[in-house]
Amino acid sequence: MEKLYKLRNGPGPAEFRQKLKIVMMLVCLALLVLTVRLWHLQVIKGDELKQRSENNAVRFRKIQPLRGLVMDRNGRIIAENRPSFDVLYMPTKGVNPESLVQKIKDIYKTRSVDYASDQPFPKTVKSYLPVRLEKNVSMEKVALVETNAVDLPGVYVDVTPIRFYLDGEFIAPIIGYTGEVSREELTESEEYSSGDITGKSGIEKVYDAYIRGRRGNELIEVNARGKVIKNLGRIDPVAGSNVILTIDLALQKAAWEAFAGLSGAAVAMDPRDGSILAMVSLPSFDPNLFNSGIAYKEWVKLQKNPLNPLSNKAISGQYPPGSTYKLIVAAAALEEGIVKPETRIHCNGSFELGNRVYHCWNKHGHGSVNLHRALVQSCDVYFYTVGKMLGVDTIAKYARRFGLGDLTGIELAHERKGIVPTRDWKLARMKQPWQLGETISIAIGQGFNLTTPLQLAQAYGALANGGNLWRPHLVKRIESSDGTIEKEYLPEKTGDLALSRWTMDVISRGLWAVVNEPGGTGSRALISGADVCGKTGTSQVVGLSQDARIRRLRKLSAIYKDHALFACYAPMKSPEIVVAVIAENAGGGGAVAAPIARKILNAYFEGKHKGKAPQVAVNPLTDGHAAKGLTLE
Amino acid sequence: MIFLKYDRRILQNFDWTLLALVMSICAIGVINIYSTGFSLGGNQSPLYLKQLQWMAMGLVFMLFTFLIDYRMINRFAYFIYAVSIASLIYVALFGHTANGAQRWISFGFILFQPSELMKVTIIIALARYFDDHKSHEPYLLRELFVPFIMVMIPCVLILKQPDLGTALIIIIVFASIVLFIGMNWKSVLIAATGILAMMPVAWIFLKDYQKDRLLTFISPESDPLGTGYHIIQSMIAIGSGGFLGKGFLKGSQTQLKYLPEQQTDFVFSVFAEEWGFAGGLVLVVMFLFLLIWGLRIALHSKDLLGTILAFGITSLIAWQMVINMGMVLGMMPVVGIPLPFISYGGSAMFTLLGAIGLLMNVSVRRFILQR
Repeated sequence: MEKLYKLRNGPGPAEFRQKLKIVMMLVCLALLVLTVRLWHLQVIKGDELKQRSENNAVRFRKIQPLRGLVMDRNGRIIAENRPSFDVLYMPTKGVNPESLVQKIKDIYKTRSVDYASDQPFPKTVKSYLPVRLEKNVSMEKVALVETNAVDLPGVYVDVTPIRFYLDGEFIAPIIGYTGEVSREELTESEEYSSGDITGKSGIEKVYDAYIRGRRGNELIEVNARGKVIKNLGRIDPVAGSNVILTIDLALQKAAWEAFAGLSGAAVAMDPRDGSILAMVSLPSFDPNLFNSGIAYKEWVKLQKNPLNPLSNKAISGQYPPGSTYKLIVAAAALEEGIVKPETRIHCNGSFELGNRVYHCWNKHGHGSVNLHRALVQSCDVYFYTVGKMLGVDTIAKYARRFGLGDLTGIELAHERKGIVPTRDWKLARMKQPWQLGETISIAIGQGFNLTTPLQLAQAYGALANGGNLWRPHLVKRIESSDGTIEKEYLPEKTGDLALSRWTMDVISRGLWAVVNEPGGTGSRALISGADVCGKTGTSQVVGLSQDARIRRLRKLSAIYKDHALFACYAPMKSPEIVVAVIAENAGGGGAVAAPIARKILNAYFEGKHKGKAPQVAVNPLTDGHAAKGLTLE
Repeated sequence: MIFLKYDRRILQNFDWTLLALVMSICAIGVINIYSTGFSLGGNQSPLYLKQLQWMAMGLVFMLFTFLIDYRMINRFAYFIYAVSIASLIYVALFGHTANGAQRWISFGFILFQPSELMKVTIIIALARYFDDHKSHEPYLLRELFVPFIMVMIPCVLILKQPDLGTALIIIIVFASIVLFIGMNWKSVLIAATGILAMMPVAWIFLKDYQKDRLLTFISPESDPLGTGYHIIQSMIAIGSGGFLGKGFLKGSQTQLKYLPEQQTDFVFSVFAEEWGFAGGLVLVVMFLFLLIWGLRIALHSKDLLGTILAFGITSLIAWQMVINMGMVLGMMPVVGIPLPFISYGGSAMFTLLGAIGLLMNVSVRRFILQR
């Protein structure tokens, strides 16, 4: 044997023998300790633990955190939390759930209130998970359930925080809504657990990670009736952070009211940094409907509404920009040297190309016009001529500089890019070559052109601020619930118009005249002393066809009516606000959209006059005891 | 191919005891998983059947690791190590994600967890290294730098998945091997100080839930999280089993699903609830035999390579078993370490049976080694 061991070069066998013996002893010792512990648990404490397992009294309960508040730029609350009283049932031995529900219905009947839940009782219940019978019930029901507790074993009332939107409808497209976490979200991230409330759209969704807060947990011992008898330990939930928007609630409200029931969208933005002051989309919906689970019927109604109340038209509605696009064509023409400001073009009311005739909106013609007059009177023939000289690709080059055809990068989801057509685009998309006639339509913002109201606001804002594209944003900063600033969003430059100062001056003088000179198409946006610069637009839903039949149809039916557009900024010297308005199927831009824009601008300047609104106190729910989550003792 | 040559002594000296022990423990495991009645749902087969399938595959793998002489396997040690690392990198890049962790390679119908394989490959690679670098003197710290790096590469990859338990086991097994083959006392002291000093840094890298678990263990009164719930339910389950247990399929904690992770990390609670102290004791004694047997194989091996292999594999099983039981019995913090041969887990079953094949390999060849 010794001979064999000599083969080893390493440590001697005796040493290993020694060590292995020690290891064997250690293993024996470790397993002995485990056995002793097993004996201790099973034999010494066995009876006690058996008792506990029989009425398994220990339950694990999640405590939902309070979602952070959403406030406007002046601290006015947009979204807060309110207590919701839910009727729950903890499965109990020897109780038939169906007869229990019947008993609740009978008790309700004595006071003639209805049992609201139409959900069938779940087929399988876990003995430790409560079943929610009714959500968000009235105080009357709470009183009924509590006073009849003896007859209703296992039934109890629990309080959970529920989202509440104070001015729901007119801010819903921005703020979004909340709902119970979906199956997909649960599999995607381990951050969520079933029953959690998460943001489903808008700001609530995009900033959910901040707003949500952190869940608390509680280990409790309950008696056979589901009543808590002992608290074994608890982690308090952490309230979510507050989101402060750039929105001015007063202006938002004014913008909503300015539409007076028309459908459409408006964006008001600070051209100096891209912060959105107001953004409305009409019609809208009441986000509070979603908070305690929207009824299927209501949901279908919202989804099937042809006016699309669930979408935010300011960012996902794509419209032909109409004459508001002339801003870009004018800039392109001046920069490329196609025309000088004094170059005159004669408009006799129509423009011929090949065997087709393109009409000016004014069929009597504008006579001989220069750029200034062409903008003021929105002369189509002038821009047909200039557009034909520029060509579609050159127009597209300038349109892109103004940020069209691309996402603005606002925080919200579902933003659309719009379309800036080019020759290549058409070839790729439709497998057809570009037609010159299409350039003519493009020159006045019709045809394939599509923009969102937000893009329009950004484009006019860029002209207003001297050539900078700022990323439009809705969130100013995020504060933790105790008020410390967690994150501050600074303006972010995303592009440059690269136009000469002179070009911009010429155009903005033109835009000023659109509103302020006699005969201007935008005169209904005139506010004395505010020096509003703007441009009207009327985008044809049916296209440029001269078909008389369609013209007749348009008069008859609302859906063939033109979209009214108006984009403007003020004051001319140092612009503080840019507004883009689109009213769907409402008629002409000057007649319909310009007055809406004027109301928004008016509200802005009036608000500025009055000074900042006082800071509103913080939601009472986030103070003191309640901030630690809502539980009913 | 000389190593594959049939040798009558392989059959004569076959380690039937080891095989019987392991098979008995596995059988207990399958019966126990049957009791949890857990199924992945859909049209997938019940979990105990899946475990049986993995066992069958593991046995084939075991035959393979047993028949090829371990000195032959040793030649490919670094290659095997490299393949395991590659599969871990693959997992990090394209792995299958479940429950928030990216740990698996999907082969269509089955999922394999390379980190389980790594637990065994690292032992093979370390055995090769220490066999190549024999020393009469205890190893100094700097001599251990290369094996340390060999261990840290997979550990970092596994921590990223994230899987603290597996990374921890690999480090502990490494430390055990190093202490076993001999390390300079001064070096041990320096290393220990170094590890202590690194603790606060490591803390920063822990995930929130991992911190919570450790805190829960350190001060159970503050015990408010899910971890506290796990431990309390586990202790209630074990304790309520009493001396003789509630009987097969009669554990109320298990059957009513109060017990979390009952087919994996907390599988022993199920067993202890249904079979009581008597059953638990039998299982512990079986493990004791298995571990002592493994250490005996290390003792009787004719070369250093066999000793390190046998010791490493035994310590892998021992540590996993002790840590898992300690956790389930409420004596250690909750880290995701399964109970060998008992917990549900295909990759673990497969690789552990392969490791047992290697152990038998060493056991048998002590009678053949003549050179």
